[in-house]
Amino acid sequence: MSSRRWRESSRTNISDEQITQLLSALRQLLPEIPHSHSRKASSAAEVLKQTCNYIKTLHREVDDLSDRLSQLLATIDADSAEAAIIRSLLI
Amino acid sequence: MHLPHSTLKQEFVKKWIMGLQRCKFSNKNMSILERKKAIKLSADTAMASARKGLTCWSRALISNPDRPVPTTTRRASSACKKIVKRSRRIRRTAKCGAARKGQITRSIAQCLVRKRTQILKSLIPGGEFMNEVCLIEETLDYITSLRVQVDVMRSLASASARASEPHN
Repeated sequence: MSSRRWRESSRTNISDEQITQLLSALRQLLPEIPHSHSRKASSAAEVLKQTCNYIKTLHREVDDLSDRLSQLLATIDADSAEAAIIRSLLI
Repeated sequence: MHLPHSTLKQEFVKKWIMGLQRCKFSNKNMSILERKKAIKLSADTAMASARKGLTCWSRALISNPDRPVPTTTRRASSACKKIVKRSRRIRRTAKCGAARKGQITRSIAQCLVRKRTQILKSLIPGGEFMNEVCLIEETLDYITSLRVQVDVMRSLASASARASEPHN
């Protein structure tokens, strides 16, 4: 079982079941990958790889959105009506 | 510990608006780069403080918001590729028994898990100090919060784009 390999490599007293449950919770969070094998990642190594890639994707998106927002918000005065509209759209 | 998406979203929006107002957005003398840094910093701080100190990653992010984004180390993945190549050569040339094949597979898997755990630790704020269980729990929470952050930033970007369109 893949969780056993994790335990062997870490050499600490963590239960297999705990790791397996956590890994499957992580698997649920990962997005479906189109054009890949029909079955979802099953091994710990595969889940970790997809998790790292997903986090990097999210970081890149935040960076791109910050870029976009810095350009869009440059034209908006904080006290103007537009700012009020945006605030109401957010909440 | 895990909040529903809508609650987390409201907390994030509230904190982010406070942060944006504090960094004096109406200052027209800000360069685009300064504005971008301010937006990103306030978004990260809001995302972390929305967790109210309940998670390690959020405390680490608040205490060190300007940590550099780690670049992937090519060494880690090339070491594993070498092991995989070597094992394929062994399987082709030698007549391995089932036990030997199992041993090779296990050592490859262990190596990959070890390397990828290191990468994950470098991606999660404060990850270098966590054990494996804590790391996965924190990862689950961090991914959920990142999604909320992306969600809200995207909504603001499309709302701003619509608001700045010329009215007909």
